[in-house]
Amino acid sequence: MKNIKFLFALWKANLQAALEFRAAFLTQIIFMMINNGAYFMFWFLYFDKFKNVRGWTLQDMMLLYGIAATAWGLAAYFFGHFTTLGEVIANGRLDYYLSLPKPVLLHVLASKSLGSGMGDVIYGIGSFILSGYLSWDGFLRYVLGVLAGVCIFISFLTIIQSLSFWLGNTVALSQIALSALLTFSLYPSALFNSATKFVLLTIIPAALVGTVPAEFVRSFTWSSLLQMSAGALIFLVLAVSMFRSGLRRYESGSAIQVEV
Amino acid sequence: MKKYLAILKMQVINNLAYPGDFLGRSVSIAVFLFIFAGLWQTTYIIAGTASINGLTFANMMWYLMMAETIELGRPRTNRIISEQVKNGEVAYILSKPYNFVLYHFSFGLGDGLMRIVINILVGILVTWLLAGPPPSLLGWGMALITMVGAWILHFCMMALIGLAAFVVEETNSFELIYQKFVFVLGGMMLPLDLFPQWLQEIVRVLPFPYMMYAPARLFVKPEFDLFLQMLAGQWFWVGVLVVLLALAYRGSEKVLTVNGG
Repeated sequence: MKNIKFLFALWKANLQAALEFRAAFLTQIIFMMINNGAYFMFWFLYFDKFKNVRGWTLQDMMLLYGIAATAWGLAAYFFGHFTTLGEVIANGRLDYYLSLPKPVLLHVLASKSLGSGMGDVIYGIGSFILSGYLSWDGFLRYVLGVLAGVCIFISFLTIIQSLSFWLGNTVALSQIALSALLTFSLYPSALFNSATKFVLLTIIPAALVGTVPAEFVRSFTWSSLLQMSAGALIFLVLAVSMFRSGLRRYESGSAIQVEV
Repeated sequence: MKKYLAILKMQVINNLAYPGDFLGRSVSIAVFLFIFAGLWQTTYIIAGTASINGLTFANMMWYLMMAETIELGRPRTNRIISEQVKNGEVAYILSKPYNFVLYHFSFGLGDGLMRIVINILVGILVTWLLAGPPPSLLGWGMALITMVGAWILHFCMMALIGLAAFVVEETNSFELIYQKFVFVLGGMMLPLDLFPQWLQEIVRVLPFPYMMYAPARLFVKPEFDLFLQMLAGQWFWVGVLVVLLALAYRGSEKVLTVNGG
């Protein structure tokens, strides 16, 4: 309970900071929505010509984008350091967080907010509504899928970037991991062979933030629910364990760091 | 001229210092090609044909390889100008005895050359494995010639966006939207041949196809008439954008405010 209150206090502070530069914040949101919409034009053109690819239609792609964009946006807006955790570790900037009586990982992740994430969230919700899958049970399944997606996005990148405790700078590695996860998550797994599908459910869990939740919203199956929730839980446990284990090896120089 | 060549050379050497980092970054072209191989293989199977609008699966993959190489090798001039405006370094560069725009042209070219070479090597390897041998030498020739114009067009657009930093400081959002327009209207993700006719007609009067579609299409289907047509269109747009860039630079200089340094 104390941690939840702490999280809300951080989010409130982040929002207040963003609203100090209101115009920039709104611009980021609007531009991200335009950016996503422009990217999606590809699928309009593709389905204008081909109508259906292995059971996936334009509506299904809207649903897939809706889930992935909302999950990514929530992670970026509320836990903005999840893409830069490796730099924080490698540059010795964890000192600040370690000196406070708060959960270190949670504090680092939530101490930054990416305004553009809100643009992704709004776009994602809009895309879900337009996909035609909006119903009471569809909405609940969408929320579950998005929550699993948020958990997997953050956990996967935390695992990769926690390697900084052992390897030092992992910026290039995390960029590759991020790019692979994001890119694969925006395409249906039906396009790939079994071996690739297996990789997308395990080593690069892109299917767990895109295809599986989208299939779960299209029609409820226990197997999709199990894959999503087990995947989210396993990646979360792995991320926390890896970060904690790395934290025991953490050392920094005497550089003066300022966290704003 | 000598000083700009020195800037270009310096940037190439800078990049050579981190070959591992460069190779790592080229993973994204492999991911892109792998995903699109899945998409187009499935599409050709479902369509039940070996050729869609004159393009075979192999044509499509080599087209995408060339288009993605151009995308990954395009200059990131706007980001550099934006950073220089934010940290005040722009005052240092503006006071040097070289033209600000030409400095960025040489800097961007030095940076882009390395990225193009590495991505093309990785791209050839992956595409060959996924779709068979590359197109003919004529295709390579036409693609390389039109890549010059395409790169200059990209530079002009990125520099125009970058000059906006003199007024708004942060230009990433503009770049993202520009990039998406090139992805779709430039034909990076889908060749123009597959667009509906009405959209093809609109897109052909815009500069985007000359930045991406021209070299990639000529690479897989080297046709002399198309080559001349694309070359003419490309250099027309280069002329227009160079004039715009010169005017924008003059205007931007007057409104620049340097905060630090």
